[in-house]
Amino acid sequence: MSENIISRILKPGVRGKIWRTFIVIIIITFGLSMIDGSSYYDKSADYLEGKFGISLPRVEPIPFKLGLDLQGGTHLVYKADMSLIDDGDAGAALEGVRDVIERRVNVFGVSEPVVQTNISGGEHRIIVELAGITDVNEAIQQIGETPLLEFKEEETEIRELTEEEKVQIEAENAVAKEKAEEALSKIKDGSDFIEISKEYSTDENIKIAGGNLDYVTNLDDQRTVSLVENLEVGAYTEELIDAPSAYEIYKLEDKKEKTNPFDENDVEKEVKASHLLLCHNEVAGCEDGLSKDEAYTKIKEIKETATPSNFVSLVKEYTTEPGGADREGTLGWFSKGMMVTPFEDTVFPQEVGTISFVVETQFGYHLIYKEDERTTFEYKVSVVKINKTTELDIIGPQAEWRNTELTGKNLERATVSFNPSDNSPEVSLEFDSEGTDLFADITERNIGKPVAIFLDAYPISIPTVNERIPSGRAVISGSFNVVDAKLLAQRLNAGALPVPIELISQQTVGPSLGKISLMESLKAGLAGLILVAIFMILYYRLSGVLAVFSLTIYGILVLAIFKLWPVTLTLSGMAGFILSIGMAVDANVLIFERLKEELRRGNPYNLALDEAFKKAWPSIRDGNVSTLITCFILIQFSTSVVKGFAITLGLGVTMSMLTAVVVTKNFSKILDTEFFGKRPWLFGGRQLTNKK
Amino acid sequence: MYKIIQNRKIWLSISSLFVVISLVLLLSFGLKLGIDFTGGSILEIRYDESIPSVAEVQDRLSSVELSSLVIQPVGADGMLLRFQEISEEKHQEVISALKNIEGEISFEEMRFEAVGPSIGQELKKKSIYATLLVLLAIVAYIAWVFRRVSKPIASWKYGIVANIALFHDVIITLGVFAILGKYFGVEINTPFVAAILTVLGYSVNDTIVVFDRIRENLPISDADFEDTVNKSVNQTVTRSINTSMTTLLVLVSVLIFGGETIRSFVLALTIGIGIGTYSSIFLASPLLVVWERFRK
Repeated sequence: MSENIISRILKPGVRGKIWRTFIVIIIITFGLSMIDGSSYYDKSADYLEGKFGISLPRVEPIPFKLGLDLQGGTHLVYKADMSLIDDGDAGAALEGVRDVIERRVNVFGVSEPVVQTNISGGEHRIIVELAGITDVNEAIQQIGETPLLEFKEEETEIRELTEEEKVQIEAENAVAKEKAEEALSKIKDGSDFIEISKEYSTDENIKIAGGNLDYVTNLDDQRTVSLVENLEVGAYTEELIDAPSAYEIYKLEDKKEKTNPFDENDVEKEVKASHLLLCHNEVAGCEDGLSKDEAYTKIKEIKETATPSNFVSLVKEYTTEPGGADREGTLGWFSKGMMVTPFEDTVFPQEVGTISFVVETQFGYHLIYKEDERTTFEYKVSVVKINKTTELDIIGPQAEWRNTELTGKNLERATVSFNPSDNSPEVSLEFDSEGTDLFADITERNIGKPVAIFLDAYPISIPTVNERIPSGRAVISGSFNVVDAKLLAQRLNAGALPVPIELISQQTVGPSLGKISLMESLKAGLAGLILVAIFMILYYRLSGVLAVFSLTIYGILVLAIFKLWPVTLTLSGMAGFILSIGMAVDANVLIFERLKEELRRGNPYNLALDEAFKKAWPSIRDGNVSTLITCFILIQFSTSVVKGFAITLGLGVTMSMLTAVVVTKNFSKILDTEFFGKRPWLFGGRQLTNKK
Repeated sequence: MYKIIQNRKIWLSISSLFVVISLVLLLSFGLKLGIDFTGGSILEIRYDESIPSVAEVQDRLSSVELSSLVIQPVGADGMLLRFQEISEEKHQEVISALKNIEGEISFEEMRFEAVGPSIGQELKKKSIYATLLVLLAIVAYIAWVFRRVSKPIASWKYGIVANIALFHDVIITLGVFAILGKYFGVEINTPFVAAILTVLGYSVNDTIVVFDRIRENLPISDADFEDTVNKSVNQTVTRSINTSMTTLLVLVSVLIFGGETIRSFVLALTIGIGIGTYSSIFLASPLLVVWERFRK
């Protein structure tokens, strides 16, 4: 008996084979429907486990891959400008653009961005598709940006004037001098100074100011004050002043003590002082290694011995101010508002010729020696200024910086790092081998000189080279925060575009329109499916029921393929799928029409079935192949809308052929029993014919 | 049995009439080309609450220079703005111009499309190439499938006849869209091209099924060509109508529930497939007989 069962499973009869296929179809369908409705399956498994403690295995949910129009997103087409590229290199340049854009796009965090190249009509294009992106404007800006990283060194070659130019300058300046002397003699003859200035001045700023400089102090403009401070009010410089860039005549209009703008009685003072600074390890950049307490103790000791006569030597010995020892701690003349508050509070009331007690500021501890004090005077000055022709006028401003061969293309990678001393963000650069050599050369020939790092033609960091750097590493430190530093690193990593690009087409779908479209097309698909099912059952009776089962399996199968492949579902793709349902019915219709014909001829069910499938197959095949040809041509369209439609329709047509000849055939054969054989009217045949 | 082939003069006259009318419509009205072909911009916005009038929107946009600006309301709370192709900066200007005067009342940008003229030109060219390619491929395919059928007419003639039917389907569909464009502002866009090409594929599918029956019946039939064709058409007519019925049922449900964005696309499919079904029964097969008669 058991042998009998095994042999029946292993070597099934004709009907057994049919049932075996049926079971396989059911199992596959079940598996595929788990993929389709994975989230529903998992939910019901959770429910069962919670309710009855039945533990079922869960499936990994696979989402549908939705296109731009269903989840929102943007489709961008860029044109690459190849006008500066040799024809032969255009392909490589386009690939380069693609790589750069791809790297930039990957930063956006969009799931599966698409970046494709496309050459059509002689135009080189990049197509970018970003699904589910929220800020399209930002994305467009980042894609289009062309960061240009350059390393520059100081310009050393200065262009000299030619002999002719020197003659020209002399001639023009002689004219200017003549004019200036004329103005001076007119003033001497009693003409109004301001009127003369308005008439004769050629300097733009003076012309705008109407010859008047208004009040200046020694701190504002030391040169002007030195020229007028010995004049009587109302007097002018009787000799023409021969400045490097102009001939000038100055007149002192007024002179007064400068007072506090908030209190007229408070006359402002200027102070001349020098100081000794001792920093400690709580101050950024301090290198003397003293703790705050140690520094305090030490400066107290210095204070004990300090006198005005030994102050300079104490400064030279102890001060930690950068360059302070060389300058003997001098600060020169300064007025209120120029020093930090604790320093000013001490030095302004202090007696001239004394040394202060210990003052604490953010820089450390100070001892201040007040050298002198004076009242601040304000001078109201007017001026006649006739410009000379200078070298600058002829040659123009000379470039401060000269390009080196090192650029962003030599960059291996850029990373964000933090300055070990003050934790400020920096961008570390690592060069490729060529860049490493270039950087070593540049640093070697610029020791002690600045090298500038330019980004998009702006100097972002101008470090001074201390030594030759052979490691190929550089640091851009500037005043940026972590976000800026990250952005810069990203942009540098993305590199520069090899050619300029231009946005020539944009299609953006907002997320809510996508959601609406998705819901609408799902509703439409479902409605269509139900209508078709009703029609089929009404018209083809039992065959129609079979067709509906077959179609359901078809639907499950195609949806699972959409998920597994995965096929990107667009709105038109959904339309393609829905249309393919209609076409899937066609195969069934062809078969059932044939079956009806065969049954009407009086053939028994099983024979009629075989004939129907045999005769319907060429029509199914030929008709669908022509649709497939169309789909294939449509896929060649690069537009995703059309492509999505063609792929889903093509896939649908292929699968519909498969389900028609496998599933519908199998189901029909299962009904090949005595019961149904006697009732061909169930399949649209006539009862009458059976009697024959 | 219906006398379909015998009454071919009626069907051929009807088809010719419609083709002629469609050609006249196409030549006089032309098709209303969308921005996919002409280049330009479309901006669709949806207001959260109170929707301003067209004049108000126009007024707000007066600060931004936009040529050929057309504003039309969409549904209860939407606005569709069309203007020339603009850059992304200009697009942002438009958005902020719409926002600024509006104050707190906000709107959502449903979609924005800006298509450069070169893309449009290329799409035109591509659409024509694709259509020609589909037609060519179909003639070749039919000629190959029917290669064993040479009597009484050669297999490539089946292909040519199928193509004439396709031409008929496409021209009439385009004719309908010429009217729709002229009076209802329906525009032709990229999906429309896909729809037309699909109609080609679908319609030829229909035609092939009929031809297939003819191929099957020819060796076993002792009637003449005309009667054999008529018999074949009669045998397949139910299937043709049923298949189209189911497909059209689906399409109509998409047309009703499927939303604004693909409406013209589905409409083109519906019209094309309807006409395709007619032509496979009443045009392609009669033409075969006409050709066979003409040879004699």
